[in-house]
Amino acid sequence: MKPAVAVTSVLAVLLGLAATAAQAEVKFGALYPFSGQLALLGEESARGLEIAVEEINAAGGVQGEKVVLVRGDAVDNNQAIGEARRLIALEKVSAIFGTYSSARSIAASQVAELSGIPYFELGAVADEVTGRGLKFLYRTNPTAEDMAKLAVEMIVNKVAAGLGKKPEDLKLGIIYEDSSYGTSVANHQKKFGAAAKLNVVSMQGYPAATVDMSSLVLDLKRRGVDIVLQTSYQNDSVLFLQQANEAGFKPGAIIGGGGGYSMQPTADAVGHKVIEGVLDTDFTQFLVNTQYTPGIDGFVETYKKKYNSGPRSGHSLNNYVGAKIILQELNKAQGFAPDTITKAMKAIDVTPGTTAVGYGFKFGTNNQNERAAMMGMQWQNGKLVTVYPDAAAVAPMQIGK
Amino acid sequence: MDILLQVLANGLMLGGLFAIVSVGLTLIFGIVKVVNFAHGEFLMIGMYGTYLVTKALGLHPFVAVIVVVPVLFILGALTQRLLIQPLMASGDDHIQIFATVGLSTALINLALLVFGADIANTPPNGLRMPIEIGPVRVLLGQVVILAAAVVLVVGLHLFLSRTQTGRAIRAVAQNRAAAELMGINVRQIYALTFGIGAACVGVASVLIAPLYPTSPNSGTYFVLTAFVVVVLGGLGSIGGAFAGALLIGLIDSVAGFYIGSDMREVAVFGVFLLILILRPSGLFGARLQLAHVSP
Repeated sequence: MKPAVAVTSVLAVLLGLAATAAQAEVKFGALYPFSGQLALLGEESARGLEIAVEEINAAGGVQGEKVVLVRGDAVDNNQAIGEARRLIALEKVSAIFGTYSSARSIAASQVAELSGIPYFELGAVADEVTGRGLKFLYRTNPTAEDMAKLAVEMIVNKVAAGLGKKPEDLKLGIIYEDSSYGTSVANHQKKFGAAAKLNVVSMQGYPAATVDMSSLVLDLKRRGVDIVLQTSYQNDSVLFLQQANEAGFKPGAIIGGGGGYSMQPTADAVGHKVIEGVLDTDFTQFLVNTQYTPGIDGFVETYKKKYNSGPRSGHSLNNYVGAKIILQELNKAQGFAPDTITKAMKAIDVTPGTTAVGYGFKFGTNNQNERAAMMGMQWQNGKLVTVYPDAAAVAPMQIGK
Repeated sequence: MDILLQVLANGLMLGGLFAIVSVGLTLIFGIVKVVNFAHGEFLMIGMYGTYLVTKALGLHPFVAVIVVVPVLFILGALTQRLLIQPLMASGDDHIQIFATVGLSTALINLALLVFGADIANTPPNGLRMPIEIGPVRVLLGQVVILAAAVVLVVGLHLFLSRTQTGRAIRAVAQNRAAAELMGINVRQIYALTFGIGAACVGVASVLIAPLYPTSPNSGTYFVLTAFVVVVLGGLGSIGGAFAGALLIGLIDSVAGFYIGSDMREVAVFGVFLLILILRPSGLFGARLQLAHVSP
């Protein structure tokens, strides 16, 4: 090596080092409920985002700049608005990621929209989040509508055959907690059910803070309901499953919608015997065919190393993948101006079966990820295993036993 | 017919549940004249206590009564002494209400901090076993709650009417100033009454915990109906609260089945409003003697 070349290469290395040491930073907001009622899953969601950012930074950051997350605590709707303002005006973030809770997301994204700052929703399911036609709001995760669509699909494609009946001969009972979450999922279930010519014989709402569902159970039992669809939180999921069991009501299938139905403490509270065979529609969970969800094992491993325990729900995974896809796309762009970011989002095109959550990514109408989908799970031997769709299933769906 | 019987049985069991939660609330209101908005959180603390004791000792959940009831008695007495009593001097009853609302919020968030938002399950130890009486099926634990509510109501009635302390408590309720002149230590009676009211909800919590999952919000699920029950029965009337609880339970169950689950609360609160219009002092309430509250 000639001395001149050696000197230049040493210089180049030194310059490189200097560049890393003084790496520029780009700030993003992480807006979740970190305290209060929703703290548990808010924190869980934020962990997914944190892991995504860590991996991106380890690979050189976005456009050579190190990503710094600034936390905002959306403890209630007002606070969500206040924190969004703070992140935008004081912290000067280039975009906000969030939010887990639909109500917080709807409140905070309004602020971001007015300021022209992109808002990436990675976990809230309500229709209204993208239904308002905001320009700067993007949602990567599946919605209430996707949840209902999947439940009806499962009945038509799998459950009916398992029960040895034609789908149109089955009697469906739809029950739901009567806030906007349960009501919107239930209405979608009714809509998709009607389109698939399913026979809904009972549709009843109830307040989530109820202490008794015995009359509801009696009603379903009297009508000879074959399949119960419940959209609920944890308390009412436990209550319904227990009271149905105690009243001797054993429908052909129970399909829960997210919330309480996906959580291990629910299974422990109800008893593993009672919850055996109960179906569930929700975000991608961890007992899933890893060929359909490449990268999920790596995620769980990183999670365990960082937080000293396994993920407590699928929220972290959904936030992780959504954030990573967005950050990777931003890496290809030039700068972080709002218009540059929105332009970059249009280019995202990820096919299903290639991400750790299984579903693909492409923003469609209202900037909703039109490839987002939920999965069907079933409680088998005290564990929540993925049974639908077939490509993601780790065990066959067990119906009619 | 069988279905109607089952609906009525469910209503009766629900009524028993409301009754046992309401007894302590109506006692505190009747004597101390304070609406305790933290009542539900006392219940929640008792349920967590039952959970912890049962988990730690591995015994039947009812054994927890030995620990939970005294703890809640002390908690109630301390609430009266440290929070309510100092505010009584202010002469404005609303401040006491705000204080108990504040206590409620603080306790919920404390529980969130200590236990997290997840549910805790007290092992039922056979209390979830269904008992079949003819065509009707109820849970053993529910029958125990109803029976315990009856015992508690009768016991409190006897205590208030037959014992010297009970008479002193009633004297304070009737006229604070006169009772004080008769040599009754009013502060002590208040602390005692608040303690007994909290201990009653302690009994309720031990019976409820094995049947319902416990979470920081558990108290709020029960307590709204408890307020309805207490007002319906006549504020401060223990027997009235019991009757009101059974009535609400039955309406809830019958309306839930025959009209529809989403109409339950409409029916319950509809009847509630109707009774209040017809009998403003509640089913069994005498006109409230509040003249002595403000000096």
